[in-house]
Amino acid sequence: MATETIARRPERVRVQAAPGRRPRRDAGRVLRLYVPLALYLIFTLVPFYWMIVFALRPTGSTAPVPWPITFEHFATVWNDIGYATFFVNSAIVGALTLLFTSVIALMGGYALARFRFRGRTLFMVALLCTQFIPGAMMLIPLFSIFRGLGLINSLWSLVIADTVFGLPLSIILMSGFVAAVPFQVEEAAMVDGCTRTRAFFAVVLPQLRPGLIAVGSFAFIHAWNNFLFALMFISRQDNFTIPVGLSYTIGEYSADFGALAAGGVVAAVPVVCVFAVIQRYLVHGISAGAVKG
Amino acid sequence: MRSITKVCTAAVAVLALSVTAAACGSDSGGAGQESGGKTTITFWDNNGGVRTPIYQELIKRFEAANPTIKVEYVGIPIASVQQKYDTAIAGGATPDVGGVTTSYLANLTGQQALEPADDWLAKSPVNGRLLDSMLASVKATTPDGKLYMAPATSNLDVVWYQKDKLSAAGVEAPKTWDEFFTAVGKLTKAPDQYGWTIRGGAGSIFQLLAEAYAYSGVPEFFDASGKSTVNDPKNVELVGKIAALYKKDTPEADVTNDFPKMVAQFTSGKVAMMHHNLGSYNDHVKAFGADKIDAFPMPVGATGKRTIVANPVDGFAVFKNSEHKEAAWKFVEFLLSKESNSYWNQQTGQIPANKDAQGDAWLNERPYLKNAVSVLADPQTAVVSPPYYLPQFSSITKADTEPLFQKVLLGQMKPQEFLDTMAQKLTEAQAEWKQAHS
Repeated sequence: MATETIARRPERVRVQAAPGRRPRRDAGRVLRLYVPLALYLIFTLVPFYWMIVFALRPTGSTAPVPWPITFEHFATVWNDIGYATFFVNSAIVGALTLLFTSVIALMGGYALARFRFRGRTLFMVALLCTQFIPGAMMLIPLFSIFRGLGLINSLWSLVIADTVFGLPLSIILMSGFVAAVPFQVEEAAMVDGCTRTRAFFAVVLPQLRPGLIAVGSFAFIHAWNNFLFALMFISRQDNFTIPVGLSYTIGEYSADFGALAAGGVVAAVPVVCVFAVIQRYLVHGISAGAVKG
Repeated sequence: MRSITKVCTAAVAVLALSVTAAACGSDSGGAGQESGGKTTITFWDNNGGVRTPIYQELIKRFEAANPTIKVEYVGIPIASVQQKYDTAIAGGATPDVGGVTTSYLANLTGQQALEPADDWLAKSPVNGRLLDSMLASVKATTPDGKLYMAPATSNLDVVWYQKDKLSAAGVEAPKTWDEFFTAVGKLTKAPDQYGWTIRGGAGSIFQLLAEAYAYSGVPEFFDASGKSTVNDPKNVELVGKIAALYKKDTPEADVTNDFPKMVAQFTSGKVAMMHHNLGSYNDHVKAFGADKIDAFPMPVGATGKRTIVANPVDGFAVFKNSEHKEAAWKFVEFLLSKESNSYWNQQTGQIPANKDAQGDAWLNERPYLKNAVSVLADPQTAVVSPPYYLPQFSSITKADTEPLFQKVLLGQMKPQEFLDTMAQKLTEAQAEWKQAHS
């Protein structure tokens, strides 16, 4: 268990430019790599730029830059539209969905990866099949169930629905991560005296960090952006979430683009922050889970 | 390693606590409850967001006048209101009072979700004070001719314009279609300024039909034999003329214009004139200032008779499932009173349903609105009523024909073929409806 492998990176050979000469840039490399990347970056960032411009410039201005800067649209969405409340609700729903999805997916994923039981393949297929059912189709059955449970108008209805809809994919992903951890290391821990649970926490769980981050971030973002459930299961003004608040800015006969953009900025900030923190785990996480699933 | 173990233990603990909390502290839904001698009724605003502060003020006034009733306001985004109502009806969790328009009233009455308002109105102080034309419009929407919604406001299609742009081009607000097309040409200085903008995306058909009937002067949607008049030769002529403006006197992006994009083009100052209704008044004022914009009604066609297509009527309905119908009707009555109806319409810039409110000073101070009211009240004005009662009306005028109008704009379809297709669908739907209700 304690074996350590030291991977050596091949040493790079730096070619020094002759004294008095500037190093030549590889024009082909710039053309192949940087130009497409720059174009893609512009393509991706321009909508964000416009969102920020609309959010920060005064109503009626057509300037391509947000000058003079105004924060009136942010004040509108935060105070008048009720983002102060919606933001907290979204954060609660997002955090609890993340928590429940991660914990349940961890347990389900471990079971699928480590145990061979009758109906395992069928269960996996069933999990995959649930992905083909659109949320809108389940709306009325879920509504009736939640109504029976007294959960309509409660944030719990959103947490449960978002968790349930996110779980199949999360379990499949997580089983891939668990399968990637050799069972021998767990066995070695058990030989050293650990129970199976102790071995899981001590040996397997630390290696599942990228997987947990991938699954958790997907769950959070899905819950954060879910408009349909938030509108349908909630009929109380104080319990709505950010996506519903965002749709308030487009009325029947009027559209407040400044408020819409400011609302978009507020809604995007947590998602951008989540990605900024986890992006290095995420890429590895997704590929590891997907390939070995 | 230890920290992860701790985090997991904490997570499981929170999960267990949360589930317990969910079981104990769940929030019940449903309609009104009685607590502390107060009756609580739920009100769903069908255009939540923009109108929320207006209703909050009115609810405050209502609760002050009726201390035993509490109104719980819920703003529903307009784009999803039909789906929200359908889900609530299917789940048996409808509000006590809801904002409803004639465009989906038939859908709600078809599900037997609403309480008829006839008996309440007969005994109400607002009886005789609501505009007959709006009451008739609501009654015409349902097959049994009952009043399932108390009208509160209506709208009129107008052409908004920037005063300074018209003055600079030496153009006066057009009164006829010939003047209109001349003005559009004079106002266009592409690519910096366009005289007109076409709604080519979502919601395009209603606007196009309003223009076509205003141009042709055809007074009915169906002739005596039940055949749709949509493909009348004059209507075809107008669609051809409008399509000819595309890209020449309008921005190229118009082919996908829905209402927000169209208003955004206008408020950006790039378009001099835009067809919409009175409801976007506040957006224009916010962008330009009240003194910089004005509106004129749809121009008059060759017949010389002003013809308008009736806009949906907006109002309030009490739901059948309500456990507090008396309180619910009381709230509706309050919203339709002269003071409340006047306040609401003053804020939104629309036409009040209460006749007494129409005499208020604020209405006379806004020339475009005064003009709109006089157009509607003029006995010479022909009002074409769209068949909102047809269950397929919405799909025919949206999913079925909006893409066809885009083809017309792009030159891939002739106006005649486009309107023939729509007319055939409407005629079939009308025949089906007549058969079902004969």
